[in-house]
Amino acid sequence: MDERLQKALEFSNYSLTITNQKKNIKNRINQLRIVHHNNGVFFADEATISFVKTLIDLGNKSAILIDTKENPVEVDNLKNLLDNLTSAYFSATNELNAEYVKIKKQRTVTKLMDW
Amino acid sequence: MTETKGVCFFAYNNEAIDYIELAILAAAQAKKHLDLPITVITDAGTYNWLKQKPDGVAQAKKFIDNIIITEEDLKLNHRKHWDSPWSSFNAPFFNSNKHKIWEYSPYEQTLLLDIDYMIRSDSLLQSFSHEGVCMFDEALDLRSDKPGSRERYLFDGGIPMWWSTVVYFDRTSTSKLFFDTWAHVADNYEFYQYLYNFPGRLFRTDYCVSIAVHILNGMTTGDSINNFPGALLNMDQKDDIVEIRENDWIMLSNDKQKQWQNIVVKVTDQDIHCMNKRAILRHTKQIWETNT
Repeated sequence: MDERLQKALEFSNYSLTITNQKKNIKNRINQLRIVHHNNGVFFADEATISFVKTLIDLGNKSAILIDTKENPVEVDNLKNLLDNLTSAYFSATNELNAEYVKIKKQRTVTKLMDW
Repeated sequence: MTETKGVCFFAYNNEAIDYIELAILAAAQAKKHLDLPITVITDAGTYNWLKQKPDGVAQAKKFIDNIIITEEDLKLNHRKHWDSPWSSFNAPFFNSNKHKIWEYSPYEQTLLLDIDYMIRSDSLLQSFSHEGVCMFDEALDLRSDKPGSRERYLFDGGIPMWWSTVVYFDRTSTSKLFFDTWAHVADNYEFYQYLYNFPGRLFRTDYCVSIAVHILNGMTTGDSINNFPGALLNMDQKDDIVEIRENDWIMLSNDKQKQWQNIVVKVTDQDIHCMNKRAILRHTKQIWETNT
């Protein structure tokens, strides 16, 4: 095979693998950002965290929130929910960052797989 | 019922696949990550097979707390299995009594898993805080792509598909109603196949639960049954396992259009529905090493 073509195919294989790996990591990170609370499901994103923090700052200790499935959920302790949301957010983003740093350093498929 | 929470598996061997071996492998992983009591429902033939294996029962008892032996006539269900794109085999499998988990489960809150569902995280533990029934209604393959339309709807333009691979349920009246409806659909499968217009001769419990959900939602979309957040991660029968490590499973994802092409995928700490059962069995030793 022409060396140029072989290199192009190797790069294409690497590129496809790395893109897929990033997608997989994002799926996993999104799973880590899910917080279950009182039969409701919340996603630990910036908007939800900010909203819960705003409610607390306004002096609320409890509230009815709409979860990701658009169901009303009675939250007795907003502070507790905020702690869970921020904890999920930080553990997910830290892991995402660690994986991205690792991926950036690996320039071949074999290194990407730690072989 | 003596215990409140637990995991159940069905395992009926056939001449081509050692389901009880798969159940023990799946149980080992579930035990490690979920730390819950485990029950396996099987038949006398399969259990005798296990007894004949050197250390078979002793090995099983390390991870399985309870074995229930059923004595019912199971309907034979034939299907073509793949082990990579280059190898296929026909084998029967038995799934006609899956809805009877309502009777068989010794737990108040049950997580029913298929034996090819490899638990590699504790994410399903959160489902125990919910009421009613929970299943996946979304799936992704190893390339993070959604499955083809026939795995998302019962037929083109049909009702949405729910997966019976992972079923969480409690003992509420809603759950009872769901399993009664599932039993009714299973008992009248041909009628519902005609009514819902889905093809094939295979008896699929995924179709039974999808129809049951549709009926309970008043023949429309609704929320009588909960969906697990996120998606079921499916490893296709034409995909393969390359290597198993403590946290990573390295797999080959086959290109559906160009079957001679694969990409390598590393799946870290995620539960995987490994449909290529022979690939799991080829890595039995590695699974033991990383789970014991």
